[in-house]
Amino acid sequence: MSEATEMPREHEIDTSWMDNMAEWGITAKPGKRGLTLADVQVGSYGDLPKVSDNMTGRPRGSTARPEAYRVGAYQVHTLSEIWLENAEYLYEEALQRQWSSATDIPWHTLKPLPDDVEEAECLLCTFFNEVEFVAGDVPARWIARTTPDYLEARNVLSAQVMDEARHMDVFRKRALANGGGLMRMSGATSGFVGSIDLARDFTEMSTRLHISGEGAVLTMFRMGELFGQNDAEKTMYRLCAQDEARHVAFGVMHLRCLGETAPERREEIECYLDEAEAQLMAGQQNPAGRQSESSEALAVLLGGGSEYYDEGHKKLLVIRRRQLKEYMKRVISAGFADRFENGRSPVPAQYAATA
Amino acid sequence: MEVFPSQEWFQKVREAYNSDRELHSGGGGACDTTAGFSIGENRYFIEFAGLDCSQVRQCSEEDLATTDFVIEMPMETWRSMLQDVQKNGKASSNMTLNSIDLELEEGIAFSPIDDQYKQDLFYRYNQNFQDFFDASSRVQTTFES
Amino acid sequence: MADKLSSKAASVDRESKIVDPTKGVPEPKYDWRGLTNEWGVRVIPGPHGLRLGDINVGSYGEVPDYWQDQTRRPRGSVGRPGIPPLPYSLRSKHELWAECSADLYEEAIQRRWIPATEVPWDSLKTLPDDIEKAVCQMCTELSQSANTELEIITYWQDRMSYGYFEVKQYLATATFDCARQLEALRKRALSNGGGLGIESRGRVNRIILESSGGWTEAVVYLYLLRGTYITRLLTGLLSAAHNEAEAFIYSHMLEDHARHLTYGYDHLEYASTHHDDASLIMGTLLAVGEAHMAAELKEGVVSSAMAIIFGGGIKGARTHGMERYLVLVRDFINDYLAICRTLGIDREKSLHPVFKRYLEG
Repeated sequence: MSEATEMPREHEIDTSWMDNMAEWGITAKPGKRGLTLADVQVGSYGDLPKVSDNMTGRPRGSTARPEAYRVGAYQVHTLSEIWLENAEYLYEEALQRQWSSATDIPWHTLKPLPDDVEEAECLLCTFFNEVEFVAGDVPARWIARTTPDYLEARNVLSAQVMDEARHMDVFRKRALANGGGLMRMSGATSGFVGSIDLARDFTEMSTRLHISGEGAVLTMFRMGELFGQNDAEKTMYRLCAQDEARHVAFGVMHLRCLGETAPERREEIECYLDEAEAQLMAGQQNPAGRQSESSEALAVLLGGGSEYYDEGHKKLLVIRRRQLKEYMKRVISAGFADRFENGRSPVPAQYAATA
Repeated sequence: MEVFPSQEWFQKVREAYNSDRELHSGGGGACDTTAGFSIGENRYFIEFAGLDCSQVRQCSEEDLATTDFVIEMPMETWRSMLQDVQKNGKASSNMTLNSIDLELEEGIAFSPIDDQYKQDLFYRYNQNFQDFFDASSRVQTTFES
Repeated sequence: MADKLSSKAASVDRESKIVDPTKGVPEPKYDWRGLTNEWGVRVIPGPHGLRLGDINVGSYGEVPDYWQDQTRRPRGSVGRPGIPPLPYSLRSKHELWAECSADLYEEAIQRRWIPATEVPWDSLKTLPDDIEKAVCQMCTELSQSANTELEIITYWQDRMSYGYFEVKQYLATATFDCARQLEALRKRALSNGGGLGIESRGRVNRIILESSGGWTEAVVYLYLLRGTYITRLLTGLLSAAHNEAEAFIYSHMLEDHARHLTYGYDHLEYASTHHDDASLIMGTLLAVGEAHMAAELKEGVVSSAMAIIFGGGIKGARTHGMERYLVLVRDFINDYLAICRTLGIDREKSLHPVFKRYLEG
């Protein structure tokens, strides 16, 4: 190191920025859960703007510069469009509960299965691999469109992107690990009007993705413990179910928050629920819904083979019943109970039909 | 030798669960929730905070109403589940909490305030509860007659 | 509740296409049976488990130079005719590929960290005001850089076709890394008597976010130009960490960042060796980018903050602190030029004058 000689003018220290720090003197302390995002929501740093004017991508609460470039093309810039009360907790939970498909699944428990069962499992894995593509791509798109002022909600979506990548990965691995292979794609995830990835509003997307789509898939993942033929499959489905439950929780809590903070949008949300119920609860995206290739595969697995297809199909109806019931209860939890009582929703009738 | 169900039994399981991170499987992790166990005439309150089970105690019916969700099964099912854990070191795949829940029409978990969001916590934290009961393999257990 | 919800009797509803249990079990068609491109695949887990790269066997491991499909067809699965396309605009391998993607994906999962509970927050001790401000300012700057990275990755992620799912999966981990960095930096700034600083003017953020020509172009700015600099910043911050909490944060950010750069450099190498003009295009982009980077380097906030950290305060910043920062910048530029050389991009002859001055010292 040189002797203490000051730098040339062009490298002089500029300390003017030190007089422009944001709110100062903050000492957030770790609680029993460590130092969480909730713990640092103190003072002005915890102020969530109802409408964000942050067009430069600055961290919430930092000092704005008048000359900063407005690089943010943030479509989502009002709190009610994306917020949920427990965003920070869901994010921290996601961080805590990550797992590895490479090392946390007991792949060594895979044993050769009868051809019909292996085919059915591989078809289902092909389907889930394809479906998780949607659940990974679409939240990612919305992260880029959302102001960083709502970083907690954005971070939950980032965690979902990670979760879905892991799901894509684990299903592909299962399909290629036990003497099978990938089967035919379902095509259920592409380009239908009103489908998840064509939504131009975040809540519209979330209603379809988190509440109806992932809610239905959650039930199927949980059922994996019944139709899984070995510990590897049962573990795979169980761990995916945990992640999926977190995504569903996002959807329920966001819808609840929106219903409470933007009541003028309730009728609009009801319309999204109308569409979601018509398409996703009965359409190709739900193997437990209308008869499709993946529902046939599910019936084979639930029965334990194609010769027990009928038994498996009956179990499929049990899945359907659970899906419908839990869907209704989630929408009720989200604050939209009326639709099941005033005849607007066809789901109660569908539920009754499965009794 | 501890009798199931009893405060002592649950305390021993809690100690086993908290003492060895090897018992916490991948996909578990920190969670914060309260739950109730309804076992015959007995009620137990359990709380997870972070990576630990922070408390488990006998409680009243009113206490159960404050929990996020309650797991209720016939006594025979509780016994079968735990005997399976005792025999195999952990639950067999058809005797996990999830499997048992799926086999029953109404399931085994419910929210005392009938809030599906709360009931879904049974799904979100399923691995922790499973690990907890799997930890009972380290507690010599008898069953009340 | 079940009774309340099922007030209507079961009925046939052809429109909703619900299976009517009163009609019995429909006969399965089994159209799907036997429909596979390759069967009999049995990948055995290795010593590190069953990794993503391990399942790239047979036809499932064939990564085409161009992926025709605009649907979500999993690579290797059987397609269906008549499926409407989705806007996957990146369908050429050279537009996104890096051979290391699958490995980086698994590595990211294994090397995950949790700021809330793994950073030793109790090691934080009060720092002199000027140093605390400098650290907080760097947290703010790096936060905004991480935010830019998050936004540009997620912008391009859903334009990438599934023929190259390894890249998409790896970028999902990078998305998660960025979210975690935003979180950790914010927590550090708000946990030791400080607060956030002044936002970055955003010159380089702007060129990254405005690179709409393609993902490769974004990578040039994000990883080659700015990312290489960030590595040096993080290394410098780590070497000058004031406590275990900062050391933990910076070292883990460096690990994450090293993965990001590995992908970035690997992708640029693939692009430059598999696409005519790629190196020339990169060179043009860098000529423009260097000007913005130079302007950002000359601006006083980061340089002063780093100098204060290196110098142990404002007084030391004016001498050895700034001297050390200038060495950091020189090292960055040398790293940058070395990477450019490996990519076949000659920047030395036309290097931006400001960059040259830093090298000349």
